[in-house]
This record gives sequence, structure tokens and C-alpha cells, in this order.
Amino acid sequence: MYTSLTNRRSFIKKMAIMSAMTAAATMFPGILFAEEQEEKLPKGGNLDWKKAPCRFCGVGCGVLVGVENGKAVAVKGDPKSPVNKGLCCVKGYHSVMSIYGKDRLTKPLVKKNGKYVETSMKEALDLIASKMKTTIKDHGKDAVSIYGSGQWTIPDGYVASKLFKGCIGTNNVEANARLCMASAVTGFLTSFGLDEPMGCYEDIDHADVFILWGNNMAEMHPVLFSRLLDQRLKRGVKIIDFATRTTRTSMAADKSIIFQPQTDLAVANAICYEIIKNGWVNKSFVEKHCSFNKGLTNMGYGLEDKYKFKDKPEKIDFEAYKTFLEDYTPEKVERISGVSAKDIKYMAAYYGDPNKKVMSLWCMGMNQHTRGTWINNLVYNIHLLTGKISTPGNSPFSLTGQPSACGTVREVGTLTHKLPHGVVMKKEHREHAAKIWDVPVENIDPKPTYHTVEMFRALDRGDIKFMWIQVTNPMVTMPKLKRYRDACKKEGRFIVVSDIYPTPTTDIADVILPSAMWIEREGMYGNSERRTQYFEQMIQPSGEAMSDTWQIVEVAKRLGYEKQFYYKEETHIEEIYNEYRRHHEGKKHAMAPLEVLKTQPGAQWPYVDGKSTKWRFNSEYDPACSNGEKFHFYGKPDGKAVIWQRPYEPAPEVPDKDYPFWLCTGRVIEHWHTGSMTRRIPVLHKAMPHAYVELNPEEAKQMQIRTGDSVKLTTKRGEIILPASVNERGVPEKGQVFVPFFDENMLINDITLDAFCPISKQPDYKKCSVKVEKV
Amino acid sequence: MKRLGIISLFVILFMAFIAVWNISYQSGMEEAYIPVENTNPISLIPSETGVFTRSKYALDYVNMPVDEQHQRVLKNYYKNRAFHGAPPSIPHPVEDERNMGDNSCLKCHQNGGFVNKYDAYAPVTPHPEMINCRQCHVPEHTKQLFKETNFYKADPPEVGVNNALQGSPPVIPHQIQMHENCLACHAGPSAPKEIRVSHPERVNCRQCHASNNKETEDIGIFKRTNNNEQ
Repeated sequence: MYTSLTNRRSFIKKMAIMSAMTAAATMFPGILFAEEQEEKLPKGGNLDWKKAPCRFCGVGCGVLVGVENGKAVAVKGDPKSPVNKGLCCVKGYHSVMSIYGKDRLTKPLVKKNGKYVETSMKEALDLIASKMKTTIKDHGKDAVSIYGSGQWTIPDGYVASKLFKGCIGTNNVEANARLCMASAVTGFLTSFGLDEPMGCYEDIDHADVFILWGNNMAEMHPVLFSRLLDQRLKRGVKIIDFATRTTRTSMAADKSIIFQPQTDLAVANAICYEIIKNGWVNKSFVEKHCSFNKGLTNMGYGLEDKYKFKDKPEKIDFEAYKTFLEDYTPEKVERISGVSAKDIKYMAAYYGDPNKKVMSLWCMGMNQHTRGTWINNLVYNIHLLTGKISTPGNSPFSLTGQPSACGTVREVGTLTHKLPHGVVMKKEHREHAAKIWDVPVENIDPKPTYHTVEMFRALDRGDIKFMWIQVTNPMVTMPKLKRYRDACKKEGRFIVVSDIYPTPTTDIADVILPSAMWIEREGMYGNSERRTQYFEQMIQPSGEAMSDTWQIVEVAKRLGYEKQFYYKEETHIEEIYNEYRRHHEGKKHAMAPLEVLKTQPGAQWPYVDGKSTKWRFNSEYDPACSNGEKFHFYGKPDGKAVIWQRPYEPAPEVPDKDYPFWLCTGRVIEHWHTGSMTRRIPVLHKAMPHAYVELNPEEAKQMQIRTGDSVKLTTKRGEIILPASVNERGVPEKGQVFVPFFDENMLINDITLDAFCPISKQPDYKKCSVKVEKV
Repeated sequence: MKRLGIISLFVILFMAFIAVWNISYQSGMEEAYIPVENTNPISLIPSETGVFTRSKYALDYVNMPVDEQHQRVLKNYYKNRAFHGAPPSIPHPVEDERNMGDNSCLKCHQNGGFVNKYDAYAPVTPHPEMINCRQCHVPEHTKQLFKETNFYKADPPEVGVNNALQGSPPVIPHQIQMHENCLACHAGPSAPKEIRVSHPERVNCRQCHASNNKETEDIGIFKRTNNNEQ
């Protein structure tokens, strides 16, 4: 065999080096040759690891992304992150693969005569700006709108709010977090006057009992659930799953308690009844720190266009509240909820036991609820009555679904009534924002316009002509989808969609902008525990893809707002964040400076004197407390949290003769929301290739349906055919079915109901009535 | 006198009873005391523990004969991982979709053993304490893709090239997070033959095998600052 001279030469060279080294090693034991050693080290273990918050859910795990040759090739959990402590879930570990789907959008597309034509970014942005100008001129400023997302980074949401609310002067700014977090927000505001949890994930390390309210944590917040399981292993804590369906969480829990849909309202009241009856009320806490309110009842369900509702809070006293609760004895509630009086007393006993620290956790089960604000209030009632709040381990904790639902939508305030600090209705809040935004205060409209469902209804009616949709996929996620899909296709509507892959939403777009996602750009997310996390740009965006922030900045400049959008392209994220921080100055909401976020795995606001605040409203931890007591609920003018009198009211659509089943929708562990990213990750798609309808095994047997058989679901809004799933991932109770919503080929939202909570305006995806047939 | 004595004794007893009863009644009225305990948050995945977790089986591993017929090879080890270091997917059908791992997966994967059905030894998990297995490990229900991918699967580290010097103990060429427990993959019948350790009884692996685990930032060439000169 031919051996080249160079090979021979290099062989001799290596031999010489080796013998020299051997000689050296014998003479000087322990000597090392750095270069030689490094050269021989394998590449695989030596990637460049850079920190970022995970792209997917609201837990906000810290991940380390391995980059090689300008490509993201690996992910591991960040052991330094206090959120996940090094662990991820299957979505997180494979998250970087979602960047590399073959059909990534890399060029802007403009619809011409029904066909999409490639164009340059400059032309596309010109077209958007000119379309906005003419729409505003012909139809007024309230004819343009932006629909964003809880997956927006903080700078994305900030520039969107500044452009639309500050410069253009319309409150047509909404985000998909209206569909997932609005009830949590109104729950916090009505009970405490300030949004977002008082506690943090560290509560998990202190609590003795965990009660999960309609929250399949094992699949939806798996990393936090593993922290619960870890605590059970080490400290023997109790996990109680209170849900409508048997899931992995129920299997893992120490006790699974099943209730009938909507009756959580009654059970929560029954727990309060038991607490008062048994004398478990923390009297001094309630006297010092709580007041009692009642609001309007029979609010309706928002099913009709232009539905309006405003709650009228009214002060009551403890005796009136006690009398009200007499309708909710465990025995009476057992009849409507299907939860035995024994189980209600069992849960009440844990809440009432002064030596047990209790953490309540919930997410969509309580938020996507036509009485979502109420059920949030009611769980706070339990914690307030027993004084189990704002201390390590005693924590009512509202989990979020999206990576920056808190950071962007709730804190930056990309909802129609919100400003980065405060609400549009208040003059001082408008003045504060206008000053920082450098706009005349009259620019900011004091009247909120449309919440999400109503915004799409306005698009249908023609009140809105232009909509820009970023980082979300409403043509899969809107309830009663068909109406809103048809609305988008109507003549005279102009829809811009910024996304990374073709989706059902890009299908209805007039202009599609390719976006740079996650680590292809710089940004920040804010997670459920008030933690703001920064990520740097690690790789180049695909093709001409541009960050959502810069897309908006470019359009703003074209609309003539160069003065307000003065940011330089190289440093705009830093400039925007620093400007945004000014809105939140003060002890109640100060945000950590960017330099801090760059060096550590996030910081929790209020960030005061170089310190994160772990437990708000507790004077031991929260520097904003100023009343000299142990607790100070400074969100309310009187410094007191509110215990609300909220009754049980039935759902708008309950199973009847024609539609005898409850239909519940939700997620699965493998897929993130509508699957536009996770379905392009081979591991995840292969594990969960399509949607299905879960049936109760006994009823499936009666109907002679087996796993894989086609089943037709019919509601008053339409019908859909899905494969059956019997005794697999989840088991619904009798009279209920469950369908995951990620599959764009089987759009379950075509048949869901667009009823919403009158206070939060968040739709209820968990309850409507449906007919089930084998086909 | 005697009678007076008895009466006064009972009076004292009665007064004592009243006092004791009163104190206990009063303390019963007080709000229950919540003991404040100083719980240090326990880190979920301490990076250095785990090395010794399976060391109790070390001598068994030494005495175990090698089953030449059913050896796993490294290529297969990497096959069901999306990238080097990713959690492996489940290459076999899963019977129960709902159960936690302690009732299902761990029956085979806690300590391994030969499985006739698959004609192979079950691999041993390095972290049996984490029981929500399908949080990270998912089965395969279809071979088809939703869309093609351009993901670049970087090459895993090679075997046999990790010694700095001839005969020196190889460095650890991979991340050890989530698999700090070396013997789980490097010993026993399910260990891929290329990476099976010849001396499982020497359980303090990292005594000789240093990790080559570059963290987020390289500190560059270390320079000692001399305080006297400054």
C-alpha cells in the first residue's frame, strides 16, 4: 500500500515527540505537555456552552446550549440555575433542533393575486408601513392592531406597546397570553392589587403538602414536578392531585381526587367553610391583613359580540361571609362536585393544620375557566384565611404556560388596558409612560379597546382592517376557530404574520415576515417566579430572518417615529431594556440591570439594592413593606388583601340530551402549544405524531370503540374526526372526553366554545358539550 | 386539726387543678406555633455525588462473565440519541402510558438483566431516583417525520484517543451531568463493549479520570497574580 512521504514524515515526527516526552516523563514525573494534551482532547466534550432560558414553557429552566461551528448542536440543563438545577424535559433537551426544520422561512413573502411571491425585507417592511399609514388615514387609528405573544421577548413587547399605544395612539395591543394567563392576572389584581406570585419556586423546598388544582404538572411543568418528586423522596412530602381527569400526575400523586368540571368553585368554598367551622382561621392574620368583598354575580359568559361587564366590589364583614359559606357545607358540595365530603375535609385539614406548610399550584385548569377570576380568588381565600401565604413553603402559586407570559405580556403590559407600569385608564400612569416614551400624553388613549376574542370579532365585523401577528398561531388556538379564520380571509383585511415556519396562520397572511428565533437573536424572558433571564445571540439567523423587535423598529421608523425609535441596531436590545427599566423604578417592581442578568441565571424583581426578592409582601424579605407589621399587602390602598365572596355558577354549556359529553382540551408533554416548533423535532414528532380523543374505557367499551378507531365529535359549532385513545396517556371520567390541541391537521378549536370569564376575558377551552360517535 | 389538714390539702389540690387547667386552657387558645426550621435548599443534582452510587455492585461486575453473544456496541448506544448527550429515546413499545417509572421502567432499568423478548441486556439508568422517566425519554410511535430537518448531529467523542500520554488514564470525554454514576454505563453486561471498564472494582473513578468538561466560559491561561509586585 502506498504511503505518502508526509505521512511517513509526520509519523517519524510523532515518534520523536513521543520518545522525547517519554524521556521527559521519566526524568520529571508529572510533567504535562499542554498543547499536545489539548490537541488530543476530543471535540465532543469541548463545546462552547452558553446560557439561555429555555425557549418553551413558563417554568423558565436555565439551559446551556452547545455551539459548534456556528451551529447549535446540543443542550443540557444549567446546574447553576435555581429553577431547574440542571434538569430539563424532553422538549428542552431537544429545543435547539426546532431551529433547523427544513421548511424554515428565510425570505419575506407577499401575497400577489393569491400567490406568495418572495421579496426583500426592505420592500416587505415598506409595504407594511404604507399599508398601516393608509389604513389609519382611511379608517382611523383604531383600525390597526397588533396581536403578540407570551413568547415575545421583553424588547419585542416593549417596542410593540410603544409604537401602538405611545406613537400611533391605539390600545389595539393584545397577546395570546389573554388565552392563558388573563384570569391569573385579574385574580391577583382583585385579591392583592398587584400582579404575579408572591412566592417562588424555592417554596417547593419548604412546603409539606402540595395541592394541584386541575394541573397535570407531570406533563406540563415536568421539571418542577420532578422537584416535587425529589422532595417526596428526601422529605416525604404529600402530593394531592385535584383534577377532572386521571393523568400521569394522578398516578404519581399520593392522592388523586376527581371533581366534575366547573365545581372547583364549590369545593374551594367548602374548604373555606370547613376551615372556619373547625376554628382553623388564623385570626390575627385575618384581622390585620385581610378585608372582605363581594362582587356581582350572574355575569354571563361573553358569548355575544360587544359584551361588556364591569364588576362592582362591595365591602362585607366576616359574619356575612360566614353566612354565605353555609351553602357550601361539604355534604351539599358533594352532591354537585362528585367529591366526597370526606375528601373535601381531607384537603381542608391540610390547609387548616397550622404545622403543615401548603403550596397550591395551578395553571390552565383554573385560568381557562368562565369563572377564572373567581376560582383564583377562592384559592387565595383559603391561603388568606389560614395565613399561609408569602412565607417560605406557604404559597398559592399560579404557574404560567409561556416563557415570557409574565416577563412580556404581564410586566411590559401588552394587553389593551395595560401600560408598562399601570393602566391606560389612569392619568398618572399615562403621564409616566408618555414621559419615558417621549410622546405627548394625549397620544395615549385612556379607553381600552378590544380584548383578544373581541379583537378577532372586530376583525370579522370590519372595525379592524389591519392586524400584525407575531410569535403566535391564532389560527390553531382561537376558540370557535372557524368564525375567526373566515374573518381573516375577508376582503379588505390586511394581515401580517411574523413567524419561523409556515403555519395555518401564515396561510391567511398577506405578508409573511421571517423571524429570527430565540438564540438567533438577543433578548430576555420573564418566568412564573418573577425571574427575568437574558440570552445572547449565539448563532446567525436563517436567511434574511430578522428579530421581531427589529421588524417593529424598522416599521416605526418608516411611520415617522425616528425620534422615539432612536435605537442603534448593534445595541438596541440593551437600549430598549434600559429604557424599559425606567418604567418600573421603585421598590415595588425594580428590574435588575442588564449586567446582572448577563452574569447570572436571572434575577427576580423587585430587585432592590442588588438583591432579588423571593417573597413579596413579607417584611422579612420584601423591602417595599412599610407598615411595620410582618406582612404588608401594599398593592391595595388599605394595605390589606381581599377575601372574596364568590359563589358557584354553572358553565355556559353543559352536556344535555343531544350533546351528552364534556369536551376538554389541553396539551401533551411532547408538544409545545401548536407544535409548529416541536413537530419539527424528529424525536418529539415520532413520540406524539398526531392528536387523538381520549375516552373513558368503560364508555368506549359500550360504544365498541378501541384505540385507533375513528371517532366523530360534534358540537353546535361543527364536527371533527379523530382517532380514539383508550386507556393511554389520560383517562377521562365518565361523560367526558379530552383532545390535545397541538395538531394543525385536526383542529379541535374549530368546535370549541368562545365563552370567556367576564372579568378577565379569557376563554374557557376546558368545557363545552359534545356528541361522540363511532364512524 | 386533722380535719383542717385534710381540708387544706384538698383545697391546695383543687387550686392546683384550677391553675393547671387554666394554663392548659390558655395555651390551647393560643394560635398553634409553626416551628421555624432552617432547611437548606437541597440541590437537585449535585455534580460530584453519584460516582459511588452503584459501587456496591462493583465486585459483582468483576466476577460477571462477559456474554459475547449479547454485547452492546457504542454505535447502537448513540443511535437513539438525537445528539451526543441527549436523553435516549425509548426503542421499544411502552405498555403503560400513565405510570411513573418506579412502577414500570425501573423494573428492568434499575439493575438491568437479560430480556428474552429483545434478546439483549436492559441498560441501567444512572439516575433511578428520578421517576418521571418520560419527562425526558419518549418512545417512538412512527418512523415518519412531520418535516425534514437540517439539524447537524455533531460526532460523539471517539474511543481510545482520550489519553494525554500513552498509558495514562483517559480523561472523561463527555458531559457527566445526569450521568455522574459511571458504573451504570461503563460496567455490567449492558455496557457497550468499547467503553466497558476493565477494573470496575476501583470505584473512585474520578480519582484517575479527570473530566474534560468545559463550562460556559474558558478562563484562558491561568496567571498567578503576585501581590508583592503590585
